Amino acid sequence: MNRAIARNEWRRLFAQPLAWAMLAAVLAVLAYFFLLTLQGFLGLMPKLAGMPSAPGVTDLVALPLLRAVASVLLIIVPLLGMRAIAGERASGTLPLLQTSGAGSAGIILGKFVALCGFFIVLIALALAMPASLAIGTHLDWGRLFASLLGLILFAAALSAIAIAASAYCRQAVIAAGLALALNLVLWMLDAGARYEGVSSNFINYAALPTHLEPFLHGIVASVDIVYFALIIAVALILAARRLDAEREHG
Amino acid sequence: MAGGALLQLQNVSRRLGGRVIVQDMTLALDRGCVLGLLGVNGAGKTTTLRMIAGVLAPNTGKVLFDGRELHEEPALSRRLGYLPETPPLYAELRVDEYLAFCARVRGLRGKAALTAVDGVVERCGLAEVRRRLCGNLSKGFAQRTGIAQAIIHDPDLIVLDEPASGLDPVQAVSIRKLVKELGSEHAVILSTHQLNDVTACCARVAIVHGGRLRYDGKLADLTGAQGGDLESVFLRIASADDAQAAA
Repeated sequence: MNRAIARNEWRRLFAQPLAWAMLAAVLAVLAYFFLLTLQGFLGLMPKLAGMPSAPGVTDLVALPLLRAVASVLLIIVPLLGMRAIAGERASGTLPLLQTSGAGSAGIILGKFVALCGFFIVLIALALAMPASLAIGTHLDWGRLFASLLGLILFAAALSAIAIAASAYCRQAVIAAGLALALNLVLWMLDAGARYEGVSSNFINYAALPTHLEPFLHGIVASVDIVYFALIIAVALILAARRLDAEREHG
Repeated sequence: MAGGALLQLQNVSRRLGGRVIVQDMTLALDRGCVLGLLGVNGAGKTTTLRMIAGVLAPNTGKVLFDGRELHEEPALSRRLGYLPETPPLYAELRVDEYLAFCARVRGLRGKAALTAVDGVVERCGLAEVRRRLCGNLSKGFAQRTGIAQAIIHDPDLIVLDEPASGLDPVQAVSIRKLVKELGSEHAVILSTHQLNDVTACCARVAIVHGGRLRYDGKLADLTGAQGGDLESVFLRIASADDAQAAA
């Protein structure tokens, strides 16, 4: 990974209004959603008090919010990742990176780390909302940390897909469309199978929710980590190979 | 061909979109020399420079930098500075931020990077715009910033693709002066179709036409042997090739 490229990408992300506007809009929507679920939970509290092993605030407030974060990431990661390579190509700055000596892998990894960094900030800020409830109630911290890890891996996988799409497309908008389509396919891949009651097929394994849900329930399993790592590795290798091919084919 | 030349192109050819753009080009260059790569639009200058810079790989032949193949070792690119036709600027960064990035990405760290930024800001006359956004620079300052990024890491070879194109006469003169200065310490390749650029900066000239190298030698030899100024000699070479191609 080239640190200079990662730092520069990070700086450029925050030098543009798009990232700030997106961060503000997403956090505002999530905050509104959080307050609604919290209000719902407070309304249910008298009924929950009488139930044995009733779901707590982590189940009824934090979990829906974290699922909403995952849904939002499906859409905003392609929007922020679309310019990673396609934007460099359009503005004529790609030769600067290609002649920097960083190599294709260094360029791609630098971009990936910066993009992931942005989404880690977003996820941390979103998670701070349910975490703030710790002042007045008991939270399942183990589950929240597992969710944090799951969402970071999820965002990293989506970032890698967005960068790969950006490497393969001349125009940033098309890259965003391609990444969004890939995200939605991976998200909905096993919807039909689940509807038919199939839950342990290959198609279930290939779908994103199959591997995100366990984290949200506090289960950190190596199979899920490997799944996200595979997506990240395949997407980044494809992106680096595309940059190499650009040298060969022009 | 000089065996130990800093840069060597050995029978380099390149096709793009099914068309031969550069054909069987052989060229060598050493430090302390400014080579003017002269040719009309579409002659193959930019493609040649992109191969020299390592942005494009040749289909056949070799581009050797210090005896090593540039395409096999991308890290060698750090020893050259490249200004493409359009200066590769990040519009949303300030000039000093941008140059600091260019220094760091080429391996300079901490104080060395900041010193390098100060050095090129002074050398390229960027002091008054160093805190301005690259996107707000005039054409002349953008071009100078592009040259600054190409020399910030003190490379052995500097490759400049039409650095004075689109500039007013005063700006063009200052760019030529800068290129001439650079030529005393580095190897410089200056691609242009402006004959003034070549006569003002270059001791050596390579004329490219139709993707082929038509002449490579000292500027004085070219004008002396062919009896005339560079303009008439260049036009003679280009039109002779065109006539040959038509025949």
